[in-house]
Amino acid sequence: MHTRALRRTGAALLAAAAVALTGAPGIAPAEESPSAVPAAAATGPYTVGMTTDVDSLNPFTGIVAESFEMYQLMYPTLTTSSAEDFSPVPDLAESWTESADQTTWTYRIRPDLTWSDGTPLTARDAAYSFNRVIDGDYEQTNYGGYVANITRAEAPDDTTLVLTVSKPTPLMDRLAVYILPEHVWREIDGKEVRSFPNEPTDGQPIVGAGPYLLVERQKGQFLRFQANPTHWRGKPAFDELVFRVYENDDALGQALRKGEVDFAHDMQANVFDAISGDSVITPIEAANYDFSEIGFNTGAALADGTPIGDGHPALRDTRVRQALNWAIDRQVLVDKVLAGHGTPGSTVIPPLYTTLHLKPANPYTYDPARAGQLLDEAGYPLGADGKRQDTDGTPLTLRLLGRQESQESQQTVQFVQGWLEDLGITVETKIVSEDTLIELNGQGNFDIFEWGWGVEPDPDYQLSTFTCAQRSSEDDGTIYAGLSDSHFCNEEYDRLYAEQATQTDPVQRAETVRQMQQILYDEAPYAVTYYPDMLQARRTDAAHALVAQPTTSADGRPGRQLFQFGTWTYDAIQPGAAPADGASDAAGTQDTSAGGVSPAVIGGAAALAVLGIAAAVLLGRRRRSDEDVE
Amino acid sequence: MGLRGPMPGPEDAADLVAVAEPAAPLVVPSSRQLARARRRASRGRAWQQFRRSRPGMAGLVVLVTFATLAVLAPVLFPPETISVVDATGDPLSPPSPGFPLGTDESGRSILALVVWGARVSLVVGLAATVVSMLIGTVIGVMAGHYRGWVGMGLNRFTDWFLVIPFLPLAIVLATVLGASLLNIIIVIGITSWPGTARLVRAQTLSVSARPYLERARALGGGDLHQMTRHVLPNVMPLVLANTTLMVALAILSETTLSFLGLGDPLAPSWGALLDGAFTSGAMTVGAWWYVLPPGLCVVAVVLAFTLIGRALEAIVDPQLSGQQR
Repeated sequence: MHTRALRRTGAALLAAAAVALTGAPGIAPAEESPSAVPAAAATGPYTVGMTTDVDSLNPFTGIVAESFEMYQLMYPTLTTSSAEDFSPVPDLAESWTESADQTTWTYRIRPDLTWSDGTPLTARDAAYSFNRVIDGDYEQTNYGGYVANITRAEAPDDTTLVLTVSKPTPLMDRLAVYILPEHVWREIDGKEVRSFPNEPTDGQPIVGAGPYLLVERQKGQFLRFQANPTHWRGKPAFDELVFRVYENDDALGQALRKGEVDFAHDMQANVFDAISGDSVITPIEAANYDFSEIGFNTGAALADGTPIGDGHPALRDTRVRQALNWAIDRQVLVDKVLAGHGTPGSTVIPPLYTTLHLKPANPYTYDPARAGQLLDEAGYPLGADGKRQDTDGTPLTLRLLGRQESQESQQTVQFVQGWLEDLGITVETKIVSEDTLIELNGQGNFDIFEWGWGVEPDPDYQLSTFTCAQRSSEDDGTIYAGLSDSHFCNEEYDRLYAEQATQTDPVQRAETVRQMQQILYDEAPYAVTYYPDMLQARRTDAAHALVAQPTTSADGRPGRQLFQFGTWTYDAIQPGAAPADGASDAAGTQDTSAGGVSPAVIGGAAALAVLGIAAAVLLGRRRRSDEDVE
Repeated sequence: MGLRGPMPGPEDAADLVAVAEPAAPLVVPSSRQLARARRRASRGRAWQQFRRSRPGMAGLVVLVTFATLAVLAPVLFPPETISVVDATGDPLSPPSPGFPLGTDESGRSILALVVWGARVSLVVGLAATVVSMLIGTVIGVMAGHYRGWVGMGLNRFTDWFLVIPFLPLAIVLATVLGASLLNIIIVIGITSWPGTARLVRAQTLSVSARPYLERARALGGGDLHQMTRHVLPNVMPLVLANTTLMVALAILSETTLSFLGLGDPLAPSWGALLDGAFTSGAMTVGAWWYVLPPGLCVVAVVLAFTLIGRALEAIVDPQLSGQQR
């Protein structure tokens, strides 16, 4: 799974507008379908609520994490990440070997498999899927990173897949390229694939081979899946699986409370806390692989080194970036922005990946005095007016960008602005859309920004975002953004990046990866602010035997139970409450739920009603005055 | 007194005499002086009438209260109190002696935020109304004054804007322009002028048929002269009454757009507060103190402007006042 930049795109604004206008937000969706009261029937649908809709069901098009959850339900991959600790384990491939000369990898594909329409599923489908990405153009977007070193994919027989690589590649047991049915996808050429929706028409499920088959999708509302009876790990216990899309966090919380959904994914911290006290709900405060950062413009340039953009020169000085790192109180951010559901950040590989994460020896704590000292050294002393200025007496003014789509981002930038202003730096904060931010990042027209990434088990992709080659590129006078949003470029780092990309020994590679994190930590293109927890919650009575990934993390907590790397929960989940689950419930927590919510709902409804009346009066008034003059 | 006012009754005549008298014994007042005196008198009369309107006065009291609070915000609550960094409260804590209206998700006092919000909401509401009124008046007067294809064209242009649904247009504009206070003012301004324009055009048409405009034309007054010296002063009272109503709409629009996350999230307007409550899960938490104060403030101010606007309308439009009494 390829969670690009925890791009929680949030509910589309237009859709949000529609909900807001129809009146009581967060209450309306729940009341539409009271039919979805917890299924007494054991194999009724298992319903999962989420606040981000799938952007595309075409695995070559989708970007958001939610989409990749759908792909892995529909299509197999060669290998997957284990539930225990993300180590590579078999999926479609039973076993795999690297040739002695490190030039070919041979995968043994499970025999006697079929696609859901009865067509045999063989190594030829796998070879087709890889070659499609290797030879493709548009197909490279999501999976190009996996096949960068693969020159050829061949299927000598139905159960053997041979991948030829141009150089030793450690990534080969983690190729998250979805294996697609050749007989379906060969009809869709390289041009058509760009707009191919891959959605079910006339009730026929999409041809797949994962544990579930997609049978229906209503954009912005729900996705319905049926269990695949021919799946090699066995038919899942729930016959039907439904993903419902909610426009906002409150609505999702209410839906879970009312039993409209059995599982809520990616909840807002306050909503999570509020519903955690409910006796029928099991909160899941899961260790997570996201991080958020304050990123700096380290000197924007094209990949060839040509400077671009209007970034502030002060930020090219490592000391200034370090100073800003010392100026951020990460614990306050965790407490206030995440309501305590997270851990202060350090490096770009989250601590969840215990073998790869570097715990810095000399962590940036909140130390304004030290930050001020570094700024003095860098040539930005305090002026008479209490503002930092350079040697010419020009005040040090930095622009700070937050994201419109994220409440956390907006809160974070307000804190950062406050801390920087305490240091004497003038800060101009602006909130922009994520699309705008990508553009500004690409063109180098920014100083400081707030964003985050979701890091996958293999560190290659994340580490690549700091290489010189990932800076912007220019074609015909147009500048295109690379993956690097800090425009960081460091020779030693690039050397280590190339080195880790050929180290097939996990221990050696982890050592290199830690060295790279140290460089990033010292050179400070980012100030990693926090690692947010993944907040999920489920109804205790609806199902049991869900699987956490990983089983335990650095701080001893288990990970998330859905939206994982792999379909572990879907394979194992059983209907009904666990036989002896009572004790493990969130018992003993205060039961303020019932009393807590009603005043808010009544109050909100009252406020909206009054607003509505006021608006009606006004509009009526205006209409009348228009009529009067006609 | 507006053009459509009643013929001067005995009472009005007395006023006129009373005002004119001190100047009369020595010199004959110039026409300009007379006009000024007449206007002063009519303003005084309008105020007398307004004072008799109980809803209008109630609205005025509410409005003055909010305006005072808005002006005094930095004194009552120093800027530090609404800075997230210096916030001292617990996140989303209920009302307590220290925080009479509770706190938001960052631990800031809702009371302080609401008072500061009055500043933003009022400023945006007034500024957007000025923009809207300027566009609406200019286009309205021109559309009414010029006959032929200019007037027709302007009229169709107004109609075209009038039929575009407000919210989608505002959302698209706000998205394209980016989230900032100035942009919100512009967006509301350029989406809400057509109503004013039509009102002004209708009034202009009626004024244009009056004999004194014919006289002005006969004396060789140009279009600009006619519009600015004769038409404009006579549509102004109506425009002002309409403006007051427009402010109410502008504040509601600002609240709507900010609530949808299209305003400047860093400026604590009432809409932005409601948006903050919405996105930080205040409803599920049961934090009514976060939702109700900004909501009720919007209602109060919008209502105040509406009451004042209607009272003013009744004064400048005697037909309306006749109906109401």
